[in-house]
Amino acid sequence: MNLQLVTCNHQTSALDIRERLAFQPQRLGEAYATLRARFPESELIVLSTCNRVELYAAHEGTEHAPGHRELAEFLAEFHKVPLRDFFDDLQEHTGAEVVRHLFQVAGSLDSMVLGEPQIVAQVRDAYRQAQEKESSGPITSSLFERAFNVSKRIRTETRLAEGRVSIASVAVGEFGKTIFERFDDKQVLIIGAGQMAEETLRYLRDEGAKEILVANRTQERAEKLAAEWGGKAVPWEFLDQFLGTADIIVSTTGANLVDLERFRRIRKKYGEKTTFILDLGAPRDFSPKIGDLDENVFLFCIDDLQKICDENRKSRLKEVEKAQAIIDQETESFMKDLSHRATGPIVKRLREQWRDVVDSETDRLFKKLPHLERDRSEIEKSIERMVNKLLHPPLEVLRDESREGSPHGLLDALKRLFRIGD
Amino acid sequence: MNFSRIGVGCFLATYAVVFGLEWLRLIGRSKINRALILLGGAIGLATHTTYLIIRNSATHLTPLLSSSQDWLLVLAWLAVVSYLFLTVMDRDLAIGVFILPIVLILTTATYFVSDAPNRRLDSLQGWKMLHAALLVLGMLGVLVGFVLSMMYLVQQWRLRHRHLSPAGFGLPNLEKLARLNRWAIMIAVPLLTLGMGTGVGLGLYAKTRKESIPFNDPVIIGSSIAWLAMFVLFIWLITTPRTTGRQVASLTLWAAGFLMFTLVGLQVATGKKIFDLKTWHVQAPVSQDLWLARHAR
Repeated sequence: MNLQLVTCNHQTSALDIRERLAFQPQRLGEAYATLRARFPESELIVLSTCNRVELYAAHEGTEHAPGHRELAEFLAEFHKVPLRDFFDDLQEHTGAEVVRHLFQVAGSLDSMVLGEPQIVAQVRDAYRQAQEKESSGPITSSLFERAFNVSKRIRTETRLAEGRVSIASVAVGEFGKTIFERFDDKQVLIIGAGQMAEETLRYLRDEGAKEILVANRTQERAEKLAAEWGGKAVPWEFLDQFLGTADIIVSTTGANLVDLERFRRIRKKYGEKTTFILDLGAPRDFSPKIGDLDENVFLFCIDDLQKICDENRKSRLKEVEKAQAIIDQETESFMKDLSHRATGPIVKRLREQWRDVVDSETDRLFKKLPHLERDRSEIEKSIERMVNKLLHPPLEVLRDESREGSPHGLLDALKRLFRIGD
Repeated sequence: MNFSRIGVGCFLATYAVVFGLEWLRLIGRSKINRALILLGGAIGLATHTTYLIIRNSATHLTPLLSSSQDWLLVLAWLAVVSYLFLTVMDRDLAIGVFILPIVLILTTATYFVSDAPNRRLDSLQGWKMLHAALLVLGMLGVLVGFVLSMMYLVQQWRLRHRHLSPAGFGLPNLEKLARLNRWAIMIAVPLLTLGMGTGVGLGLYAKTRKESIPFNDPVIIGSSIAWLAMFVLFIWLITTPRTTGRQVASLTLWAAGFLMFTLVGLQVATGKKIFDLKTWHVQAPVSQDLWLARHAR
């Protein structure tokens, strides 16, 4: 059995390289067709997400199995990116390391945000697509199915996935969802067009937010962001009106925008509705006193959110060891199964072959020396022990070698030495 | 197994233990704790139910029409059923911390109220049943509103102090709590009003049968004042265009708290065990053994 992996992920390469190597969904069929044509005897699975591009290859034997270089060349040719541009960014794994890596990916230990739940769905989707394109096979199937079990074990046996760790996800997922039941009937006002605002907007959209208003001093930038997210740009001069009507305000300008008096006037005019304010600007956009203005204003600044993120991150790190132990255990178990699958038939045939020799020789012996018949049982047991003792050292070496992958060299040697045919 | 040995103390103690276990949720999510909570709750509910069935078969009256004690026990029983259902459905919901104290108060109060069945207007069992059922269901709605209001205020306090819910000690979001609270009041007050209405109807009917039931009874006056508080809240809710969740929660807490305190307080005050406020609404208590022996014949 031969397992190979080339990976280009957020730990090894910059975003621009990952973007160039990413497989667009519409081109995935073409990618699998090319791979099948190049490596017809291999099982291949492509995992392409925003944080990683990975190519898993499995092969029953060693002959015609694709090597790392060939897989990298496929990436270069398919995406028309010179190999030298990304070769140093690639990570290569073989045998047990491939298994361990996939388990870490599916268990979300290799994710940018530790414990994030989306990755397992992405791995599952990649596997499903490989099945549809008839590119997976028995080895990759058992590998990926096991990866899903590992992911499930990590989710249930550790607390790795508990608590959010990015500012935007804490803001929306922890606080926003504790205030609001639904987001599709809420008015969201984005002030400024910063990266943090955009990330928060992404989470709000995922939660169903529909009515998005963008206000920015530069109207063009507001219009651009609004167009990107299906929102509406509103004139900066009408900011007070929307500060009064919005349910959720995300502000990132860092320009001391709203003081207590201004917000008090706005509340007086538009009513004291429940308002969730995310002040992600540094320095703050909203005076901290606004949080105490009335019971229905929930104001969170970046420090409040960062504190929660750090606490969650710390508690997650404690769980990494537990998750890693599960992965080690499962990797060993999977490799054992895999090696049993590879070495089992050879060992069986070797034992059968020796058994045949023993049987024919003992029969001959008892025919020539019939007086030994009364001790037949003892003699047979003795020969059995000899055979076992003689076979023990090579089989133990075979078992040790197969822990880290299929011992093709040894298997070939055994086949040739003992003339074991396929 | 001798079920007649089951007393109020059996399930009261079980609920107290479950209440203690509910607080352990603060330490973190635990499967063992959850299993113990559900097991304890189920045992408490089973003994509670058995006790009500025994009372029912001994008096030949449904618990609602029997005594003040049974009436309170039915209300507590309904609260426990709601609690267990919600706890089974949502493993993180910490409703027990809010609802179990009320169950414990209601159950403890039964020690101080009359356990003798009220035999007035026995010929109008159906109407009496309707009157009691409407009041109990209305009270359950009020109790739910009270619990939701407490949860709202705790959740709001957490948010304002930037505290996140500990794992396993979750509360619903503010918007949902406010919506459910509103509905609890909107349903409870009409039920209470109908319950009060059937009570007045029964009183007027009794006069035609020369079975005098005075309306200047302390239980009727006290209950009417408490109902009025809830009714004012109800009117305010349907007439005020922009109410905030916090306003509704605070007012519900006061009005519902006042109603529950008044009704339970009146039952205790007229229970003739520690106070002896005169009312026709409650029969003089008898000891349980004597009472069961009398009715077993």
